[in-house]
Amino acid sequence: MKNKIENAVENEVEKTRRKLMFAGAMAPVVMSMPGRVFAQAGGGYYKDKVIIINVAGGASGGHTRFARLLQPYLQKHSGAREVRIVNMPGGGGLKAANHIWRVKPGSPEIFFGNVSTLLLAPLAGSPGAQSLDPVKFNYLGRVTSEPRVLCVGGKSAIKTIQDVQKLKRPFVYPSQGTDEDFYTMAVLGDALGFKVKAVTGYEGNADTSLAVIKGDGDGHITGWSESLGPIRSGDKNPILMVTSQPSPDYPQIPIATNIVPAAKRATVQAMATILETHRSYIGPPNMDPQAIAAFRAVVTAALSDPELLAESKKNERLVSPMDGVTQQKRITELAKSSASLAPILVAAVKDIQ
Amino acid sequence: MIEAILAGLTALLTPQALLFMLIGVVYGLVIGILPGLGGVVAMALLLPFTYGFETAATLALLLGAHIATIWGDSVTSILFSVPGSAKGLALCFDGYPMTKKGQAKRALAASATGALLGGIIGAIFLALCIPLIRPVILALGPSEYLMMALWGLTVIATFSEGSLMKGLTASVLGVLVAFIGMDVVTATPRFTFGSEFLMDGISFPVAMIGLFAVSEMMKLAIKGTPIVDRSLVKEESTVWQGVQDAFRHWWLVARSSLLGLWIGVLPGVGASVAGLAAYAQAVQTSKTPERFGKGAVEGVIAPDATMGANEGGGLMPTLAFGIPGGESMAILLVAFIGLGVVPGPDMLTKNLDLVFSMVWIIVIANIAVTVIGLGITPWLARLPSLQANLMVPIVLAVCFVGAYATRGHIEDVVVAAVFGIVGYLMDKYHYSRANFVIGMVLAVMIERNLHISLTLYGRDFLLERPIALAMLLFVLVTAALPFVRNWRRKRRQAAGAAAP
Repeated sequence: MKNKIENAVENEVEKTRRKLMFAGAMAPVVMSMPGRVFAQAGGGYYKDKVIIINVAGGASGGHTRFARLLQPYLQKHSGAREVRIVNMPGGGGLKAANHIWRVKPGSPEIFFGNVSTLLLAPLAGSPGAQSLDPVKFNYLGRVTSEPRVLCVGGKSAIKTIQDVQKLKRPFVYPSQGTDEDFYTMAVLGDALGFKVKAVTGYEGNADTSLAVIKGDGDGHITGWSESLGPIRSGDKNPILMVTSQPSPDYPQIPIATNIVPAAKRATVQAMATILETHRSYIGPPNMDPQAIAAFRAVVTAALSDPELLAESKKNERLVSPMDGVTQQKRITELAKSSASLAPILVAAVKDIQ
Repeated sequence: MIEAILAGLTALLTPQALLFMLIGVVYGLVIGILPGLGGVVAMALLLPFTYGFETAATLALLLGAHIATIWGDSVTSILFSVPGSAKGLALCFDGYPMTKKGQAKRALAASATGALLGGIIGAIFLALCIPLIRPVILALGPSEYLMMALWGLTVIATFSEGSLMKGLTASVLGVLVAFIGMDVVTATPRFTFGSEFLMDGISFPVAMIGLFAVSEMMKLAIKGTPIVDRSLVKEESTVWQGVQDAFRHWWLVARSSLLGLWIGVLPGVGASVAGLAAYAQAVQTSKTPERFGKGAVEGVIAPDATMGANEGGGLMPTLAFGIPGGESMAILLVAFIGLGVVPGPDMLTKNLDLVFSMVWIIVIANIAVTVIGLGITPWLARLPSLQANLMVPIVLAVCFVGAYATRGHIEDVVVAAVFGIVGYLMDKYHYSRANFVIGMVLAVMIERNLHISLTLYGRDFLLERPIALAMLLFVLVTAALPFVRNWRRKRRQAAGAAAP
């Protein structure tokens, strides 16, 4: 009897062992299925390779959320063995930008973050951006571009942008440092003729948002989605948008380029266009042309994947793609046309120093 | 409100929610024990697996994991002086000396029970204070945060026994290290010497791993003995002793819990400051402050109770304004979006049952962590008696992997090693490592909030911020209290000696 039981147990163990061995042998086949089922964009350049996406921000930030949203679709359309997300926060994106500027030829590393930082920081003479030339980076495709919105506190006496212009004191602007919103505020102040008192040192958007809601500061600029919740709840009041298109939900919010004096319109338009470059994939200056073409194709394919579009809508992370070739042209033009911004940005940085 | 409290609990009593909470707690304990990984990493790794499940189950998984990391952090701080993350730092000050005295079981049990009581007291007060949360958050600002940081600074005197000058020197060194990187006010690189790596500053958890863990392992390797040599020091404490300690110091637990709740509600103050402030408060209100830093159980109970309560407070800015108070809350906010939950003022009125579900999760997860924790304490307490030739390579390997895992930079491994040597030398020449990290934690917070206060309100900002002024007076009184007590005791002793 005991032997029968022992034999039965041994048989079961053997069966389980065989099943596990079979599963182990099949795992690589199963894991590589997506790459085989879908036609790979970019001529299979990245097939079975590892792609490293250096996200210019922390693990919980907006850039990471978009990078993680795109990650499986990049893998699906490239056939890469792995698309690895590495967070590289620091210096308002400049740390990651400097890193990608210096990577060796043939490196699998790609920057993901805000293009406007690459354009604005060198213009402002930021110490962390002196070696960067935005035109020499390889732009591989924009994922999203959110309109920037200037909000004041829900209980503030300031109700419109005209109220700001009529203020007999500087407009108090809580800021986390010299990011694109800080520069945008400087440009708006210059164009609309009001003084800005930037209060730097805040830790992030959460901190500046609370300062505005409390009334410690008059207002601040954020991405549209970041302020949407407080706007809906009445904690914040949007008074100006820096974008080319009015918001379909809030058509009454004025657009900056429509209300500035004609003499300043080109400057504000340059700023708005820079801001619209937003969250993008960027390759190092020495990137292999074949890799550039392949990655651009992969990004385009991923961003038009119906599954991704459904997921982005469900999670309120809407994409607004721009292909890499168009983006490269746009950045080259911007770098030339935005020189007029430099004195304003340099003065704003000098003010806080 | 009672309906919402019951509805919040009922939502959690599903098999999926309970299973998810258990998974979250066990997973959080493991992540918390690994140095360099904390609640943020625990939640970030879980996030992709949360879509498509019940709301309560998803929140139970995320919050359960986050809460379990608190005690996980404390375990390594107490047993090996290896703070799992910034939160666990204050546990090294007295927890590790308790281990060396053969009281590891008592320390671990006191820590787990302290965190449980803190979590429960914090949750109860949180539930009672929900209508006040928005006005409280709106009433506090940078000047008040500055006062919190100043309060943390007062603990420096505790670790300066023997030479105040050496204590202050250690703190100044910590401040200087904290200033490496981009200046938070003018965005100018400081002490970076053109290095791209230094632009992001020295990671606080990495510095702590070096200063405490690596340096302790160096000491062990040189001495060649285990942390606790059982032939000299017997483990005579019990788990029950630790549990009793937490209940015996109920007033300390209550004070620490309310402090934790208060700090949690202040966005941007952070759990590392919470631990230090709790420790400062325990020292300053103790009748025998000289026992601290040498294995006083109150030095273990207070930080854990504060951190247990801190999590509930941290939820409030996220729920009330949709503004995450920290990185872990930002991850929770992402989960909210996936679940279709819209944070904002309505959360505290129309969606109160969901808020109470989260309060219940904090309570139940804390109970689960404590039950598991007390169950495994006898086994954990044996680890410090491992021989040095086994312990040193294992702990060092875990430390260096942890240092790398913090930000994914190989340079951080070098930083941990350098800080290990610095920590070893500081310990050898009696410069307080605790003061070094206190200076490091609080420097940027003080710089940031002092600058904002001066810019917004001018030099007389204290006159414009009455709450900050009241807090400053409180800081001065509590800082002076040990000195006054000491002076009184000496006077009594002198009077006793003079009496015939």
